[in-house]
Amino acid sequence: MTATVPPPENHPTGAERGAPARPTARAWARENLFNNRHNSVLTVLIGAGLVALTIYGARFLFVTGQWEPVRTNLTLLMMGTFPRAEQWRVVVQVYLLCAAVGLVWGGLTASSRDRARDAGVPFSRARLRDGIRRWWPVFVLLVALLGMTRTWLPLAFVASALAVGVVARRVMEALGAAWRGPAWFFAGICALAGWQVVSGTGGIAWWWGSALVAAAVLRTTRNVRTDARWQPLARFALIAGAIAVVRAVYAQFDFSGVGWDDWSGFQLNLVAAAASIVLAFPVGLAAAVGRRSTLPAVRWLSVGYIELIRGVPLITLLFMGDLFLGFFLPTEDPLSKVTRAIAVMTLFTGAYLAEIVRGGLQAVPRGQVEAAQAIGLSAPRVLGMIVLPQALRAVIPALVGQFINLFKDSTLLSIIALTEILRIRESIHGQREFLIVGIAETLVFVAFAFWALAFTMSRESQRLERRLGVGER
Amino acid sequence: MPVVSSWWRRTGFLSAIWQAALVAGVCLAGWWLYGNLVENLTRTRIPTDFDFLTQPTGFAIPENFGFDPSLPIWRMVLIGVQNTFLAGLVGVLLASIVGLIVGVARLSSNWLVARMAQVFVEGFRNTPPLVVIVFFSFAVFSFGPLPVFPEALDLKLPGSDSNWLVLSKSRIGIPSLSAERHTGLFWIIVVCGVVAAAGVWVWRSRRHVRTGEPHHRVLWALGSFALVVIVAFLALGGPYAWSLPARSENGRRLISGFGTSAAYLSLTLALALYTASHIAEVVRASILAVPKGQSEAAGALALSPFQRYRHVVLPQGLRIAVPPTINQYLNLVKNTSLGTVVGYADVTNLTRTSIGNANPAPQSIAVLMGVYLVFSLVISLLLNIYNRSVQLRER
Repeated sequence: MTATVPPPENHPTGAERGAPARPTARAWARENLFNNRHNSVLTVLIGAGLVALTIYGARFLFVTGQWEPVRTNLTLLMMGTFPRAEQWRVVVQVYLLCAAVGLVWGGLTASSRDRARDAGVPFSRARLRDGIRRWWPVFVLLVALLGMTRTWLPLAFVASALAVGVVARRVMEALGAAWRGPAWFFAGICALAGWQVVSGTGGIAWWWGSALVAAAVLRTTRNVRTDARWQPLARFALIAGAIAVVRAVYAQFDFSGVGWDDWSGFQLNLVAAAASIVLAFPVGLAAAVGRRSTLPAVRWLSVGYIELIRGVPLITLLFMGDLFLGFFLPTEDPLSKVTRAIAVMTLFTGAYLAEIVRGGLQAVPRGQVEAAQAIGLSAPRVLGMIVLPQALRAVIPALVGQFINLFKDSTLLSIIALTEILRIRESIHGQREFLIVGIAETLVFVAFAFWALAFTMSRESQRLERRLGVGER
Repeated sequence: MPVVSSWWRRTGFLSAIWQAALVAGVCLAGWWLYGNLVENLTRTRIPTDFDFLTQPTGFAIPENFGFDPSLPIWRMVLIGVQNTFLAGLVGVLLASIVGLIVGVARLSSNWLVARMAQVFVEGFRNTPPLVVIVFFSFAVFSFGPLPVFPEALDLKLPGSDSNWLVLSKSRIGIPSLSAERHTGLFWIIVVCGVVAAAGVWVWRSRRHVRTGEPHHRVLWALGSFALVVIVAFLALGGPYAWSLPARSENGRRLISGFGTSAAYLSLTLALALYTASHIAEVVRASILAVPKGQSEAAGALALSPFQRYRHVVLPQGLRIAVPPTINQYLNLVKNTSLGTVVGYADVTNLTRTSIGNANPAPQSIAVLMGVYLVFSLVISLLLNIYNRSVQLRER
C-alpha cells in the first residue's frame, strides 16, 4: 500500500535523501510477489483468500454484525458496576493522567531538543502523522468507541483530555530542558492526585504524597555541599520535614473516595494489572537479588519462591486467594475480594519479575562490580549505585512485556467472579433482549480492546528496546 | 601486614548470623500462617487432613463416560491429570507445527506470505488466550452454525455409507484405531523394531567413521523400523483397524470412533494458536540469529537451499530456539487450566467442582499445585536433557 506510490523524483524528502529511489509498483510486485513460479502461485492463492476474508470481515463489521449488545452496554463494559454517582472522579483522573503524560513527554522533548541544539544536529519534533502511525490501534479503538456512543459527551471528553495532554506538553517544551527534572515531579503529583481523586485521601494515602515530596526534596538538594558528618542528619531532617508537612496538609482534607473494590469492567483489568506490577516490583527485585546472593539460605529461599510460583498456573493461585487466603490471617473479617486477587497477582508477578531482573543483573559486566568494590563501595552501594541502574535500564522492555502479559491475564479474574470485562460481557447475554444476540460480536469487541492496547504497548517496547540497544552490547 | 579482625566481624560469622536470622524469620512467619490456617479451619469445622482423597467423588465427569461417581477423589484427580495431559500433548504438537510453519513463513521472500504470518503472530500474541478460548467455545461451537448433537452433521466417505466425521455443537467424532487381535505381540515386535533401528543407527555411524561414506542413518533407522512394523502388521493379520465414528440407535451417543467434546477442541485449538504465535517468533528469531555468513558459506560449498537449511542453519538455530520453546511448552500446559471456563474436565476444573462439593479447599488446592509442579518439573527435566544434547560443547 505505502510502497505503491513512488515519490516525485525531483523533490526528495529529508528522510529519503541519499536513499535509493523507490521502485515502481510493477517492479516492487515482481520483486516481492512474483519472483518465481512457486511464489506467484502462493500470491494468487493467498490473495484470493485475503479478498474473500476482507469482504467477509467488512460485511461482518458493517452489515451482518449485531453490535447492539455492545452499543447498549458500552458504559457497562468500560466501568462495570462502578457507582455512577462517582463517575466524575474517573473523568478528573483521566484529565490528570493525560496532564502527567504530557508533562513528562514535553520535558523529554525539550531536553532532547536542547541536546540536539548543543550538538548542532537538526531536530524535528515528533509529528502527529508519526504518532497516528505508531498508535493507530488505539485510535481505531477510540473511534470505534466514540462511533458507538449515542451522545456527544464522550467525544467532548476524549477531545478535551487529549487537549489537556497537548497543552501540558507544550508548556513543558516552552519552559525548556532545565525543567525536565521538575516535570517528573509535577507529573508525579498529577498522577498521585489522579489516583487519590478516586481512592480518597484517607488512611495511608498521605504516605505516597510524602514519599513523592521527600524524593523531590532529596533530589533538589543533592548537590548542596555539606559536611560529610552532618549529611545523614541533614537528609533525615529533610525527609522528616517533608513527611510532617505533607501529613499536615493531608490532615486538612477529609476527602473520602471509592476503594478499588468498586472498580469493575475494563477499568478493573487495567487497575489490577497496573497495581500488581507496581506492588510486585520490590518483591521481584528482592527475589532476584536474593537468587544471586552468596548466602545459601537467601539463595534457596528465593529459588523456592520463584520456582514454586512459576510452576503453577495463575488460576490455582487465584483460587487460593479467593477461597482461603483470608484463613492465613488471624482477623475475623476477611480481606475484600479485589484485594485478595491483587495480592495473589502481586505474588505471581513478583516471581516473573525476579527472573526478568535476574536477566538484567547477569547482563551487567563483572568488571563493573569489581571496579566498584575496588574503589571501596559497600555491598549495598555496589548494588544500588552501580549494578541496579544498569540492570534495570536493560530490562525495561521485558518489564513492559510482563505488564502486557499481566494485562491479558487479568481476564482470569472473571473465573473467580470478579466483574472484569469478560465477566461483564457474559452478563450482557443475560439481558433478555441479548440472550443469543451478538455472541461473537461482544467477544470480538473485548478481544479488540485488549489487542489494541497490548499490541501498541508491545510495539512501543520494541522501539524502546532498539533505542536502548539491549542485547547489542 | 595481615589485618586480624575480631571474630564477630568476620564475614563467615556475619553471614551465618544473617542467614540464621532470615531462616528463623521465615520459619516463624510460616508457623504463624500455618497456625492461623489450622485455627480457622477448625473454627469453621473444615477437616485439616487429606482424608477426603479417599471419599467418593460424587459427580460424573462429562468428558469420561466410564467414570463412576462412587470412585474416590484421588481417582478423579488422576482422570483430571489425564485430561490435562491430553490437552497439553495435542496442544504442544499443534503449536509446534503451526509455529514452525508460521515462523518460517515470516521470513518468506513473498511479501504477502510474510505479512500474513506477521498478522497471525501479532493478532494472537496480543489477545488474551482466555478470550480466544471463550470465542471458540461460544461463538464457534455453542452458538455457531453447527447442529445440536442428536441432529449431528455426518460427513460420509465418498461412495460409502460410513461416516468419517461427526460434527455437532457439543460433541465431535473422528476415526480412531480399535484393537483387533494379537495387540500385545504387535507391541513387543514394535519394541524389537526400535532396538533394531538403534542397532542399524550405530552400525551406519561406525561405518561412516570407518569409511567416510555418507551414513544416512536417519533414513536407514526409520526404514528398518518401518519395515519391521509393516511386516509384523501384515503377518499378524491387522492387529488394529480403523473405527469410524457412528452414533447409537437413538442417535444420542457416539458408539465408535474417537469422540471428543467441543470444550476440548476449543481449549486445544485456542491454546495451540496462541502458543504457536509465540513459537513462531522464537523460530524466526533463532533463524535470524544464525549469521548470514554461515548460509552464504554453505552456498559457496554448492549446498542446495534445502541442504543449507538442514545442515547449516537449522542445527545452529535449533540450539538457540530450545530454551525459549521449553518455556512456551510449560506455559501451554499451565494454560490448559483455562479449560475450566468452558467446562473441560481438566484437573483444575474437577478440583474446583470437588471443592464446590464441600471438600476442603486448602488441601485440594495443595494437591492441584502439586500436580502442576510435577508437570512443570517433568517437562523441564526432559527438555533440559534434550537441550543439553543439542547445545554446543565448549572447551
